[in-house]
Amino acid sequence: MVCVLGIQTIFFANSITKTIYINAGQSTCVDGKQMAYKAFNPTAVFEERNVQVSMEVTDTLLLQVINNDSVEHGFDVKWTVGLRDTVQAGDTLNVVFSSTDLGIFIYYDHLSYPNNAYMGLAGIIAVGTNSNTYFWNIKDHELAWNDSIGAGGVVDWLNYYPDYFTINGLSNPNINSDTTARVEGFVGDTILIYMANTGQAEHSIHFHGYHCEILSSSMNAGHVGRIKDTFPIKRMEGYVLQLVPHQIGEYPVHDHNLLSITGGGLYPFGMFLTILIQ
Amino acid sequence: MRGLIAILFFVVFVGAEAQTNVFLIGRTLGEKIIANGDTLRVYGFAPNLSTHPPIPAPLIEANQGDSVHIDFWNVSQLHHHTIHLHGLDVDQANDGVPMLSFDVDHMEHGWYHFKAPHAGTYLYHCHVGSTLHLQAGMYGPVIIRPSDGSNTTWDGGYAFDTETMLFMSEFDTFWHTDSILDHEHDNSAVHDSLPVPKYNPDYFLINGLSDHQLEDTIELNSKTDYVNYFRLVNIGYCSNKVVFPASLNAQVIDSDGRPLPVVDLTDTVEVYPGERYGVLVESSVPVLDSIEVHYFGMMTGAAENVQYVKVDIRVPDQVVELPNISGLTLAPNPTDLELKVAFDVQNEVELAIRVVGVDGRLVLSEYSRTFPSGHQMVIIDTSLLPGGQYVISFTDGNTVTSKSFIKR
Repeated sequence: MVCVLGIQTIFFANSITKTIYINAGQSTCVDGKQMAYKAFNPTAVFEERNVQVSMEVTDTLLLQVINNDSVEHGFDVKWTVGLRDTVQAGDTLNVVFSSTDLGIFIYYDHLSYPNNAYMGLAGIIAVGTNSNTYFWNIKDHELAWNDSIGAGGVVDWLNYYPDYFTINGLSNPNINSDTTARVEGFVGDTILIYMANTGQAEHSIHFHGYHCEILSSSMNAGHVGRIKDTFPIKRMEGYVLQLVPHQIGEYPVHDHNLLSITGGGLYPFGMFLTILIQ
Repeated sequence: MRGLIAILFFVVFVGAEAQTNVFLIGRTLGEKIIANGDTLRVYGFAPNLSTHPPIPAPLIEANQGDSVHIDFWNVSQLHHHTIHLHGLDVDQANDGVPMLSFDVDHMEHGWYHFKAPHAGTYLYHCHVGSTLHLQAGMYGPVIIRPSDGSNTTWDGGYAFDTETMLFMSEFDTFWHTDSILDHEHDNSAVHDSLPVPKYNPDYFLINGLSDHQLEDTIELNSKTDYVNYFRLVNIGYCSNKVVFPASLNAQVIDSDGRPLPVVDLTDTVEVYPGERYGVLVESSVPVLDSIEVHYFGMMTGAAENVQYVKVDIRVPDQVVELPNISGLTLAPNPTDLELKVAFDVQNEVELAIRVVGVDGRLVLSEYSRTFPSGHQMVIIDTSLLPGGQYVISFTDGNTVTSKSFIKR
């Protein structure tokens, strides 16, 4: 006699509480120059890197957004409805977010779009992460524009020509010191990379040594399952990529719009990092 | 002992695999004629010392599973180079990134080895000062064919009748001046630190050509019901949007050397820098049209340029030799006002000449007469025919032969 047992999976929903601060400050570029910048930070102290939020599909995120800047800001999560709100200088905004599917979401300041998001106010919410998860928050900046927008000036986006290109606020070679960005693993690992373009230019991210599978695409659901080595990523687009390395080595990942692997007009101080597989 | 020799020989035979050998020379003093007739200085990979490096560089071609060996000889004073095998997922030693593998200095050889992976479309390019060296011209295509080398997209994939590569890039002519190309190298540094000027491309290329250079050089000439395979490659710094005529029923079937899990039925394919796509097109009716290749700036998304690739799909000719008739030609083809039909008659013959549309409908009055032996010419007034493909047929009452022509 064969018995077939029904298997029921029970998920326990967790609540994740996070507090993030909207801070204004000066970002130090790869060549030492400084530009006006704003970011969502874990404390009231300014840093270029936005808070990376990880959660499971069953989790509920309780987010407290504290506006530590001197002007009003907005808060929204791309590809959701009903979360858009504003927060006055010195005030606090409470946001509740959840997702039933693995995916990537961009939280950002929607006011004066794209100016405030461009200034740095855009980060990643990663849903469905595992223990081998990495975050690439891709941005581009034209130094003079950051300073102009930061001073309340007006810019013409049709003439945008960025001169700095960052992942998690850092450029080559400093990106490799960011353990949330620099993939390190072993042959056969299942590695997840949550990649979002929160800049204003388009990028085309190329992997040496490996192909990755698209697990989630914010703009092209039909692309899920594609296995590629180069991933075009448009403004405010996100991907979840799965990398299962088949060989050891240290291999670059970089924007194949090779203009973006420059920093301050110098090659190769832009969007370029390496993956290390042992 | 004879048995042992036989066994050893068998083992060696089974273990042998096909080998593809490639020889490339790195150059920095190449010349390229651009669409306005000017000669541009380029870098590139040349097959020998007596020719300028072509843009794109020579095709590297192998079958899946082959062992590929590249002998790269760098003959470019001042400059060192590498070959990065883009998308081929080679091991680190052969990846062509200078600080992670090796680079090749002037008058040195570098050897790259890999086993050809999945059938598909790939690239190779220099990875030294890559922003400058790619724009200078150091890039070329790699095609890995199925294990049996057949006209099939991959092992067990789609069979095709014709194959066309559209390899997109751009030129910013300022980047091709000596002040940019004769840059310094710091071999002691982990990274060459190179100043990169602002990019303002002024020539938008397909297979190294643009504008009038594309006419009659890069086009799809095919027949109805043929399966035509396009390999789309972007190695420039703009994004591309390739728009196929709706009548071609385009299907996007692969990207970056892997089949797509779901075929994408679309006439418009976006190809970003470093990407490759495979597209099948097929038509049951004649098509005289163009594929549009759009170029967009990556920083602003602004439209920069459009290039056109001619598509000429015709009903296949019925090649049946009429007794007494030889050397049948139609000129000009395509035609505007008139079509000159020339042929040689061996012995006097009565011929009926008909011009029909591709649907078989008679579009001009049938012409019939007796032709004496010798060279003959019939001039057909095509001035009133609408643009499109037509078929002209000849019959002696027993046998029919036909040829197609295009009215612009």
